Amino acid sequence: MSLDAFTLAVFRSAITSLADEMAVTIHRTSYSGVLKDIMDYSTAICDPQGRLVAQGLTLAGHLCSLPVALKATLRRFGNDVHPGDILCMNDPFDGGMHLPDIFIFQPIFVDGQVVSFAATICHHTDVGGRVPGSNASDSTEIYQEGLRIPPLKLFERGQRNETLFALLDRNVRLPVRLMGDLRAQLAACRIAEAGVLELVARYGVDAFAAMSAALLDHSEHLTRACLAELPDGKVSFEDWIDDDGIDAGKPIRLFVTLEKRGDRMLADWTGTSPQVKGAINNTYSYTQAATLTAVKSVLSVNMPNNDGVFRAIEVIAPPGTVANGVLPAACAARGLTGFRMVDCVFGALAMLVPDKVFAASDGGNTGITIGGWTKQRKPFVYVDFMSGSWGARPWADGIDGNANMFANMATHSVEVLETEQPVEILAFEFVTDGGGPGLYRGGVPYRRDYRFTEDEAVLQVRSDRHTHRPYGLWGGSPGAPSQNMGDPYGAARPLPSKFTTTIRRGEMFRHQLPGSGGWGDPLTRDPAAVLRDVRNEFVSIAAAASEYGVILLPSPLRIDVEATEQQRATLRAARGWTTVPPVQWGTEHGQ
Amino acid sequence: MNALGIDIGGTFTDLVLRTADGQAHRLKLPSTPGDYAAAIGDGLDRLLVQAGVAASDISDVRHGTTVASNAILEGKGARTGLITTRGFRDILEIRTLRMPRLYDLAWDKPKVLVERALRREVTERLDARGNVVIPLDEHSVIAALDTLVAEQVDAVAVCLLHSYANDAHERRIAELAAIRAPGLRVSLSTEVLPEIREYERTSTTVINAYLQPVVASYLARLEQVLRARGITVPLRLMQSAGGLMAAVQAAQRPVEIVESGPAAGVIGALALARRDGVADLISFDMGGTTAKAALILGGEASQAAEMQVGGGMLGGSRLLTGGGYTLRVPAIDLAEVGAGGGSIVWLDRAGAPQVGPHSAGAVPGPVAYGAGGTEPTVTDCSVVLGWLGPAGLAGGTVALDAAAARAAVESRIAKPLAVSVEVAAYGAIAVAVATMIRAIRAVSSERGRDPRHFALAAFGGNGGMFGPLVASRLGIARVIVPQAPGLFSAAGLLDGVVQHLASRTYKVLLTEADAATAAAVLAGLRQTVAERLTEAGLHPDAAEVQPQARLRYHGQSFELTVNLPTDHLTPDAIAGLADAFGAEHERTYGHRAGADEPVELVSLAVLGRGAVPGTAAETAARTAAGPRPPRAAYFGPVHGWHNVQVLGRGDVAATARTGPLIIEEYDATIVVPPGAAVRCDASGNVVIDL
Repeated sequence: MSLDAFTLAVFRSAITSLADEMAVTIHRTSYSGVLKDIMDYSTAICDPQGRLVAQGLTLAGHLCSLPVALKATLRRFGNDVHPGDILCMNDPFDGGMHLPDIFIFQPIFVDGQVVSFAATICHHTDVGGRVPGSNASDSTEIYQEGLRIPPLKLFERGQRNETLFALLDRNVRLPVRLMGDLRAQLAACRIAEAGVLELVARYGVDAFAAMSAALLDHSEHLTRACLAELPDGKVSFEDWIDDDGIDAGKPIRLFVTLEKRGDRMLADWTGTSPQVKGAINNTYSYTQAATLTAVKSVLSVNMPNNDGVFRAIEVIAPPGTVANGVLPAACAARGLTGFRMVDCVFGALAMLVPDKVFAASDGGNTGITIGGWTKQRKPFVYVDFMSGSWGARPWADGIDGNANMFANMATHSVEVLETEQPVEILAFEFVTDGGGPGLYRGGVPYRRDYRFTEDEAVLQVRSDRHTHRPYGLWGGSPGAPSQNMGDPYGAARPLPSKFTTTIRRGEMFRHQLPGSGGWGDPLTRDPAAVLRDVRNEFVSIAAAASEYGVILLPSPLRIDVEATEQQRATLRAARGWTTVPPVQWGTEHGQ
Repeated sequence: MNALGIDIGGTFTDLVLRTADGQAHRLKLPSTPGDYAAAIGDGLDRLLVQAGVAASDISDVRHGTTVASNAILEGKGARTGLITTRGFRDILEIRTLRMPRLYDLAWDKPKVLVERALRREVTERLDARGNVVIPLDEHSVIAALDTLVAEQVDAVAVCLLHSYANDAHERRIAELAAIRAPGLRVSLSTEVLPEIREYERTSTTVINAYLQPVVASYLARLEQVLRARGITVPLRLMQSAGGLMAAVQAAQRPVEIVESGPAAGVIGALALARRDGVADLISFDMGGTTAKAALILGGEASQAAEMQVGGGMLGGSRLLTGGGYTLRVPAIDLAEVGAGGGSIVWLDRAGAPQVGPHSAGAVPGPVAYGAGGTEPTVTDCSVVLGWLGPAGLAGGTVALDAAAARAAVESRIAKPLAVSVEVAAYGAIAVAVATMIRAIRAVSSERGRDPRHFALAAFGGNGGMFGPLVASRLGIARVIVPQAPGLFSAAGLLDGVVQHLASRTYKVLLTEADAATAAAVLAGLRQTVAERLTEAGLHPDAAEVQPQARLRYHGQSFELTVNLPTDHLTPDAIAGLADAFGAEHERTYGHRAGADEPVELVSLAVLGRGAVPGTAAETAARTAAGPRPPRAAYFGPVHGWHNVQVLGRGDVAATARTGPLIIEEYDATIVVPPGAAVRCDASGNVVIDL
């Protein structure tokens, strides 16, 4: 390192905490539930070339998005960037993610030169389009999904772009909320500007630039050092999305090949399904973020978030596939594909480093949107993302009731929800026998039951892992499939994993998340752990016998040691393994 | 008036006795986990002899304790049951789903305090307005109680959905519990925290139930120890919010005292600010494993509405919550980072220097302690630089092996980076300081306050050594190191006032707020506060009582607190309130919405507080010890090595002299950097102007 290592370490701490401070600002000043509770936003400091220097740690799925979007914006404007300019965009086919994600960039100037860009991305509650929430999974082209904003100036030399503001105001369902959230993004950029100017004042323009670059080099070295410790090899993994909601029942293939050589890794998505009609097509940066999320998880906990990391891990995503959709692909609900790509890369990594990787988690969040108009013609949009559990790990059970690695989202408060939205929650609880059995059990899912209390609304659900269950590893069983159900306390009508429908006053609906996969042979699980799970109703007495081979006696609940040994021997003989299956999917996997 | 302050930490028990003439007597001794009161009794006997004060002449006893937080962190609370609305028993375990770390497959949630089998459901349901949708089925209550009794729980928490809007069902469950399971301790969420948001309310209520038996028996034992020595005056405890409460209340509401020790330090800083006419101060409390910061603005310590117990250190952003147990009670807004004297200095795999979050702790401790530590720590770097001297720590009771410290810094840090050992040590300290700065920024700039407008009150064993570095880095001009900084929390107890805050959710658009409803809620809160103040020995007439409103723009999730000029929300008062909220929003976040943006009232609160006939201000102890041998100390590449004078606090004069200078005390070392002016003020504080 040519620069003094200590000065650089101090600088790293300062600029990273500045990006975090931007994130705190958005969290505290934003309006909408998606931002405040679900933290579907990110903040960053980028260098004048648009490279990511430091990112506020909020949503893993945004990791690679800011530099890609900023570089696209800079391609549009070149040197036509001036003090007082604020740039914005959301176009997925010009560097963006999906339309609700609006990027705001503020150039930071010193003596007439750009020294940094403050960068923010927020998922806005609604950006227009045919379905409230602009999140529909059943749109078939981008033009149905809402307002598409190419790189534009929201402010030009300090002046509001009134044309753009007016256009936004007329094309979104909740303009007050959108403007409020934009203000939060602008506030974060101001915080960044003050912080960067302070750092430049301390170190000087040249040293600031040199240290930003050195920071990226350090991250690259760190990433390469960690990669070098992993075994070399080339592994592939395949997983399936149930369908795109348009071609119902037609599975969509995800296929990744990881090639790890020395201190570099290549992730190639060639072999992944062509882009689909439904709105689950990724753009490149999202595929890159999904890949890096899994790879970073097996490297080091302290890995930074910047461009240096990206240099050591190359991601190939062929255009025209669900990994990298092209116009006019719909992509509003591409979150689903991103989550599942994380699972797919984890699956490949498990083949490379079995002792470091968990079984499949619940496959990421289910998106539920209820939107419409009250009698007084006031709009309402309720957006909920549910996720719930982790796959079992090579050393411990999966976590029950926890955010997915790809999106550290919080759940809504039921009480706040019921005061603000025309919805009642009738139950919000864990489901027995949902977690995949294993030496270590997969995390258990939860379910939520809704009753709608306005006259009419559009209910839109995007879920998956209904026919293709979260896989178990090294003898572990898959998690339980997800479920959607109409009238859960009456006729209990099964519903598909993705649908859009009209819902009326008093109607009820249930979503149950999939359970996560188990790790290792369930017949070797400590019977005391099975007993504990039964006592806590995570596992039923019947499943204890059929899945784990543990026979329990009632009052008080206890293990029948002899019967358990016998049962395990019977089950072992019946399943007829000769070698432990590395991956288990349950039935109906693939085509 | 002889006032006694007792502060128990995990490692040390600190006692401060302040006599009527303002003289302070201090004692630090090892804590006795298992029976914390034992160390107190032992220390008290010694301190009374030392001070020449009879036990019967003690007029006031104040206490800060780590007993509650330890019970949570070590999982040693009561066997607790939980009763919830049917369909919602997993609220406690699902939490907010949020985790504190990304990309970490080894992360685990903190163990849930009530396992699922002990979370029992009752049939009932209220809507968001508190209307009964499903009446309480008493048979289901009896069944739940019977199960919990059979499971031999010691305490039960009750938290039903929307109970903040209607407490009838929870109260009925308490009545049935009194009949069905007499003697069982019951914590109702409507009593602990009558506020909206079921997870936070459930978690807080469960922690209260979980702590009650532990804290109650601890306090009973402590009172017994005091009484056995003839001390019969009532015992008061420091709350996390920085006010004192009666011991009997602490036994009922132990959630209030979880962060009592750290809060006492901030209250000490607050008293220092008031006494010395400094309005705005940042407290900086640095010990062996952590550094904590809090903001004092306009003579008030900043408050947080919620905290996480055992969440680990602040890694980066405070957004990454979920690492600990959520406690939604008022508390001083403390930010904590894992950078203390024991923090380990290491190089990552790309050769970049890092400090912490791992700590060598008390055992084995830094390499210089010679107790088996092998990895260099921040303290070892201080030894290398000559900041800590050959006399050792704690008045020489802990010897320092400078050669060992130097060898560790050299082999682990300096050699691999190809720099001199002092450059490595100084650089590592700069990295540690960068981490400490994050704690200060978290309570200042992240709250819209510029740290440069504040003075820094530095205390804790290491505050005086690193405070000046932190300050100069942040552009803070003045550092104040109070007397006996290593026992500052115990002294801070003596500066506390009695204080209570009660709140209740009344969620409505401000323009639609019903004046009669608001007045009724406030009247109820006033009564609660008056009762608690009386119990703590303060006549309500002598208290300053302030009604407050918690407001936000409709759709936001964070409220700001605004004082209410009146209990009567007339249209005029509402307009004034909306405007005051807008002003506060702008002050905190730098922007406000237009006047047509709807403002929402979320909760009403009443804060009551007042001083109890207390204690004399501490006088300056001025014992000149005479100069000690000077020593070589290093102050970075610019200033290099200096032969530095070493003094005792009593030797520092009222007229300023210029650093470098080292001030050695029994419990701390102050390092005055080159060029800084240092003096001792009338209160005995060391004041460093940078």
